[in-house]
Parts: sequence; structure tokens; C-alpha cells
Amino acid sequence: MKELFPRKQVMGFVFSLVLTAAALLVYFLDMSFAVGMTVLLVTAFIQAGLQFIVFMHAGETEDKGLIFTNIYYGLIIALVTVFGTLLAMVWGYV
Amino acid sequence: MKTDNTMPLEYKTEQSRLNIFGFWIFLGAEIMLFGTLFASYFTLEGRTGSGPTGAEIFEITPVLVETFLLLTSSFTIGLGVHAMRIANKKAMLAFFSITLILGLGFLGFEIFEFIHYVHEGAGLQASAFTSILLTTLGTHGAHVTFGLFWGLFIILQVKKRGLTPETANKSFIFSLYWHFLDVVWIFIFSFIYLKGMM
Amino acid sequence: MDFFDRFAIPHPSPIIYASMVAIGLTVIAIVAGLTYFKKWGYLWREWITTVDHKRIGIMYLLSALLMLFRGGVDALMMRAQTAVPENTLLEAQHYNEIFTTHGVVMIIFMAMAFIIALMNFVVPLQIGARDVAFPRLNNLSFWLYFMGAMLFNLSFVIGGSPSAGWTSYFPLAGNEFSESVGTNYYMLAIQISGIGTLMTGINFIATILKMRAPGMTLMKMPMFTWSALITNLIIVFAFPVLTVALAMGTMDRLFGSNFFTTSDGGMDMLWANLFWVWGHPEVYILILPAFGIYSEIIPTFARRNLYGYKSMVASMVLISLLSFFVWVHHFFTMGQGALVNSIFSISTMAIAVPTGIKIFNWLFTLWKGKIKITVPMLYSLGFLPIFTIGGVTGVMLGMSAADYQYHNTMFLVAHFHLVIIPGVVFAMIAGMTYWWPKMFGFMLNERIGKWTFWFIAGGTCLAFFPMFISGLDGQARRMYTYSEATGFGIWNMLSFIGALGLAAGFILIVYNVYYSTRYASRDIGDDPWDARSLEWATHNPVPEYNFAITPQVNSSEAFWDSKKNGHKLFKGPFKEIHMPNNSGMPFIMSILFFVLGFALVFSLWIVAIISLIGVFACLAHRSFEKDHGYHISVEEIEKTEAERGGAEHENR
Repeated sequence: MKELFPRKQVMGFVFSLVLTAAALLVYFLDMSFAVGMTVLLVTAFIQAGLQFIVFMHAGETEDKGLIFTNIYYGLIIALVTVFGTLLAMVWGYV
Repeated sequence: MKTDNTMPLEYKTEQSRLNIFGFWIFLGAEIMLFGTLFASYFTLEGRTGSGPTGAEIFEITPVLVETFLLLTSSFTIGLGVHAMRIANKKAMLAFFSITLILGLGFLGFEIFEFIHYVHEGAGLQASAFTSILLTTLGTHGAHVTFGLFWGLFIILQVKKRGLTPETANKSFIFSLYWHFLDVVWIFIFSFIYLKGMM
Repeated sequence: MDFFDRFAIPHPSPIIYASMVAIGLTVIAIVAGLTYFKKWGYLWREWITTVDHKRIGIMYLLSALLMLFRGGVDALMMRAQTAVPENTLLEAQHYNEIFTTHGVVMIIFMAMAFIIALMNFVVPLQIGARDVAFPRLNNLSFWLYFMGAMLFNLSFVIGGSPSAGWTSYFPLAGNEFSESVGTNYYMLAIQISGIGTLMTGINFIATILKMRAPGMTLMKMPMFTWSALITNLIIVFAFPVLTVALAMGTMDRLFGSNFFTTSDGGMDMLWANLFWVWGHPEVYILILPAFGIYSEIIPTFARRNLYGYKSMVASMVLISLLSFFVWVHHFFTMGQGALVNSIFSISTMAIAVPTGIKIFNWLFTLWKGKIKITVPMLYSLGFLPIFTIGGVTGVMLGMSAADYQYHNTMFLVAHFHLVIIPGVVFAMIAGMTYWWPKMFGFMLNERIGKWTFWFIAGGTCLAFFPMFISGLDGQARRMYTYSEATGFGIWNMLSFIGALGLAAGFILIVYNVYYSTRYASRDIGDDPWDARSLEWATHNPVPEYNFAITPQVNSSEAFWDSKKNGHKLFKGPFKEIHMPNNSGMPFIMSILFFVLGFALVFSLWIVAIISLIGVFACLAHRSFEKDHGYHISVEEIEKTEAERGGAEHENR
């Protein structure tokens, strides 16, 4: 039975539950918008990284470099799109 | 066909390594798909017109249940792939089945949530905010639904054909898809629900 | 009869009726011809179900040429309508439809198909691969593109064409101002072919990154392959944006959602934003493969290796990133503040730097080269000055303060045609001429080709330079007519003459294909241009397995080294070759997509649901299918090689 539950994955699961709980603090505690968003950004991105590395084995083959480049590239472009859109559509109107 | 015995079963043939790599590229495109949805969501978030705002319709309980179900299903499919790698077909099938049941539970709650929104007057047509909210959640939900069928087909194939390089390859790719849906949900959970209720 | 009313054309005219008859007759002629010559089986087995990248490339090429003529006729009619003031050749609505379909057809269905055609044919050969990474997906990509294109063209005869411009800005494209189903066609047809393009992107990234011949490191890839890699990278990250935008637009039109409406919080500007988040990278998707083609042609005919290989690669990588940072320059006048405009203005001008680097690299390659003027080279030489003029006017438009003067005028139209025609169209014709012998086993006639070049290059300059002037004088784009007092008449007449020159050039291309098919020599060897990269190292015509033995590569010009420096490309004995099977499923699935799209255009929900289930059934079938391909035996390879190869190949 024990061999079916590798330590790494169990720890990963526990850690993601802890991060979810930490994110929930923004709901239960009274925080300013800036602090709340910081908490959410930190917990969300750590959890995403956890999934990619622990569960999806992104770094297990020789293609590691290419796979991470692909994900980082996608992430950068996605962030540029999100913030660029907000800049042009919401914040930029004066 | 070239084979490589130092790697797990799912990486055994040239074509299966290509399949896995190609799927990673596809996930890159998916990042952009959801990135665009988030960009639109943040833009339209405050534009509620005569409809309700997020804070008015979001409820923490179903969201928490959904989050827990999907997070756990991501864990169990990870265990499924691990079982596959130690060639324990029975355990693998069990974990994959649990994953799908959890996914089904998630979907049930999401449908319940959608019905609730429509009752609250937050249907697709109510405002720009509700349009983008339901579209973003719906796109993720449609991915989960698609995954349920896909996962079912994988289970049937592993059951019938056993763990071959081919079925193992398909199972691994499916696990990548399923984990990715969890990643997307983490962002939906954080930046749609929690941000909206903060 | 109410049910059938929806299929009628809202603004019929004799031209449309004549086209309907022409389309009907063509279809009947094709069906009758195929039946009479008993070619249905051949068509199905050898082409429709093929997974061979070379044949898929040729099918893309034919579709692209077909679309070039559709879009070209639209262009001619536009220029004819505006040739004189107060012209009554076309009505306003008809003119709107024509400039809309001209843009969509030329960008999405002509230029995209043309670059993908050349990538399909050339890239696997250049990297010494047997096929692409996912051959069947490649077939699906083609058929999705093709069905999307056909669905779009169907709007012309059933239900009415879209008329909100190729950018289809809301609220004009919303139900309120675009009542006909035309814009539904726009949303769904582009969606379907966009899915195909996205799959091409994934396919080619996997192919280029994972299937290169031994010894071909990234920095030893031929430049066209590099450009294809970067292009597909942009495709993979840009097309999902279009997918989302089109889905939102479709929902607004069909399901009454409020993304881009002007009520209930909807934001019409968001459409423009998302459209250009895709649309600007799209410009680079089109231009980078063209740069790649020129980087193959110029060294070949300047008889020198490419100057500044590393800076060429670096500038393309930089362009791929920067292309996602500049999209706001398409709507500087929409009302965002000076800060936002300044940021995007600067990033826009920054992208001119890597482009400039490339121009200088080509010039330095030509410097002291032994230049041989062939048709592909002629287009490359014509490209440099005309593209530079188009490019620097782009920098003018990129200055946000000045853009208020140029925005939405003919100046803009002149700018983007003068980059896209020498950039993309010249490159495509040059590439087609250059690789034609590999595709079909004979060369296009050089004399006719040179005449064609002068018609096309001259036509381009004459058609678009006058627009700079009329644009600065204030002629807005997309106006179906103007009064005599504006003084635009002379410039538009010159444009019309230029357009006729272009048309003559394109007719000459068709004549050249006909003439060369009939009279050109078939005895041209494997390497008629004395070229430098691997695609010329295999036979003419290329065997289905491309290379009997996988080549060993030592530099970015491995074939040149094997010819001049004694590098041995093919080592070792023949081995059995594994090949993928053909499949009819992608075609069936694409037909279902076509039906789905058509049903959604006309809100035929039951048909839509059935065809959607059909699509999923195809996917399920694929999941359960066992398909291990087949093997070509050593004897067969020996036979093919002996047939196609001369003495030169015996020692391999």
C-alpha cells in the first residue's frame, strides 16, 4: 500500500491544501486590496508551479529546457496580454 | 521504431515522446486561451450594468467544495500515473476512476452553481460581467466535461489492452491535461472568486 | 417558405447572380469531369486522405492560389469603383462587402495558406525528416482551413457576405448594425480555419524541435526553418486570443451576451483590443516566413553564404517577443491617454530595429556576391527597396501623435499594402518559383517569370504610392465614393491602372504554369538552382519517404558542403522505413465542422447539435483506433532509388 503513495506527491498535495487555506485568509480576514492581491498572487503562482513540477513531471526528460521555455513564454505573453489590456482598456483612460 | 528502455513506459517510442512534447506545446496555447479570458474578465469585471456584482452572487461554500474536489482529483491522478509507472494496473485504474468521480462531483457542483446564478438574475445576457463570468467558468467546465469522456475512454482502453507503451502514453497525456485544468482552477479560485469576495 | 427566406442574399445585384451561375457551372463541371475520367478514387486515396506533408503542402498551395484570385477580383472591383469620382458601378453595401471579404480572404485564406503551403513542403525536407511530427493532424489542419475558407466564400451566394470590414469592429459588427448573417459567417469561418492553423503551429514546433537530422543543432538549421519555428511559436500563442475573441463575438450575435455591446456594461473597444492582440502578431506570422524565404534565395543566387546568421536568428526571436508588445498602435485614436499611447509607440518603433538588422544582413550578403538574376532573385531584389518604403511609413504611423493625422486614411492602406505585398506576396511567388522544381519536377519559365515580375512590381508601386498622397490629403479608407471637388480622382485613377497591372501579372503567373507544364524540360536533375540546403539533396520528384537514408549534417549549409567540401551526407546501408497510414477521418471531421459552422450561421440548432456530436464521435473513434502505420522494405527503397537516382546516387 505504501508504495502507492509516494512521499513527494503526498507532500505536494498537503502543501497545495495549505496554500489554498492561506489564500482563503483574504476572505476571512479583513485586508487591504493590495495585501490581499499579494497573498493571492503568491499562493496561486506557487501552487501552479507545484502542479507543473511535482504532478506533471515537467522536468523529468531531456526536453525539460524546451518545456519550461514554452511555459515561461506562454506565461510572459499571457501576463503582457492581461496587463496590456488593463492598461489600454481600464487604467489608461484619464 | 526506436525504443528507449531507460525511460518510463509512456516515453518508450519516438512517436510517444513526440506526443507528450506536442501536448506540452498545446498546453502553452491553453495558457494563452485562459490568459485572454482572464484579460477580458478583469476588463469587464466592474461593468455590471443593471445586473448583479460578483460580491452579490458568489458563495464561498460551493466554491470551496469545488476547489477541494478538483485539487484532490489532481492528486489522485498523480497517484494513478505513479501506479502506472510501477506497473500496478489495478491501482492505476482505481486512481483514474476516483479522479473521474471527483471530476463528476466538481461538475455537478458547478452546474448547481450556474443554476443558482441564473436564479439570481445573473444569466449570460444580464451584463458584460455575467457574460464573461459564465464564459470563463463555462470554458473551464467544458474542458472538465471533455476530460471526463476522454478519461473514460482511457480507462476502457487500459482495461482491455493492458499497459502498453501506447495506452501508457495516452494515460500520461491525459494526466497532463487534468493537472492543467487544476492549475486553471487555482487561478479562477483566486482571481475570480476570492478577489471578488475580498 | 419563411424558413428558406433566411438563405436569400439581402442585397442582390446582377454581378452576384452571374457569380452564382458561374459557381454552379464550375461545380457541375468539376463533378462531371471527375466522374467521366473516373478520378474520384484517385482523388480520395492519393490526395484527400493523404498524410504526406508534400501533398498537403501542394493542396495548401492550390487553395491559396484560388483564394488569391477571389481576393484579387474583390480588389479590382474596389479600385474600379473608386477610379472616378461619384462612380455608380457598385452600391455602398456591395462595396462594404467587397472590402471586407478582400481583407479576410487575402490575410486568412490566401497569405496564411501560402506560408503554410511552403512550410509544409519545405521544412521536413530541410531538416532531413520523413514527415511532420503528427502527419494525420496535418491533414486535419488542412481540411479545417479549407472548410473554413469554403464556408466563408459560401456567404457570397447564401445569406450575404460580411460587411463590417476585415477587422469587424463592434458595435458595427453587432446584430443592430449588421443584420444579415454575413458577420456570423465571418466569426465561424475564421474560427474553424483558426483551429486548423493552431494545430499546424503545434505540429511544426514539435517537428522542428524534435525531428532534425543528426548533427543539425538549432544554430545549424537553415534560415527558412528558423523562420518557420518562430512563426509557429507566434501562431501557438496568438491564435488562442483570436479563438476567444471570435467565440465572444459569436455569442454576442447568437446568444445575446453583452461582451461588445453598448448596453449593460458591454465594451465595444475590447473587441478591437483582443482582435489586435492577435492581429499584430499575425502580421509577423505572415512576414517572418517571407524573411526566411528571402534568406534562402539571396545566398543561393548571390553565391555567398548568408551574412550574419546569428543576428538573423536573434532578430527573429526578438521580433517574436516584441510582436506581442505593440498591438495598441492599431487604435491610438480610441481614447486611451498619452501615457498608454507613448508606451506602445516606443515599443512599436523598437520593433523596427530587428527588422532593420535583417535588411542590412541581406544587403551585406549581396555585397561582393556573384549575383545571378533569376526570377526568385528578382523578387528578392524588388522586395528590399519597396518593403523598406512600406516599413518606414509604418514607423511614421507608429508615432502616436502623428497617427491622428494618418489614422484610417488611404495613407495607412498604402503603408500596409506596401509591406505586405513585397513582404509576403513577392516572397510567396519567389518561393513558389524557387521550390517549384522540387514540387513538380520542372521549372517555371524564366522569361515569362521576369515579365510577370515587372508587371507585379510596377503594378504594386503604381497602385499604392498614389494612396500616400490622397491619404495625406484626407481621403478616408473604406469610402465607396467621393466628390470631384476633393481632387482624389487622379490618384485613384492611377491606383486603378496599377491594379490592372497587378491583375495582368497574376494572369501571367497562370499562363506560366500552363506554359511550363506543357513545354518545360523534365530533365533538370535534383538541384537545378545549385542551391545550398538539404531539400535539394533528395530526388526529383521527392520519394514519399523523402530521404532513403537520414542525412548527417555538419553545418547550416550541409548540402553545399557535400557538393563543394566533400562532406558525406548519407552514410550507412538502407533500412526499413516506417510510414504513417492515410486516413479519411480528418476529412469527415472537417465536413462535420463545416456543417456545424453553417448551422450556427443560420441558428439551425438541431443540425448544429448533431454535427457537434459527430465531431466528438470522430474524436472518440480516434482515441480507440489502433493505427501503427506501415513499413517500406529495403527492396522497395532500393528499387525507388535506382529508378529516380542517376549515377550520382549509387555510391551512397
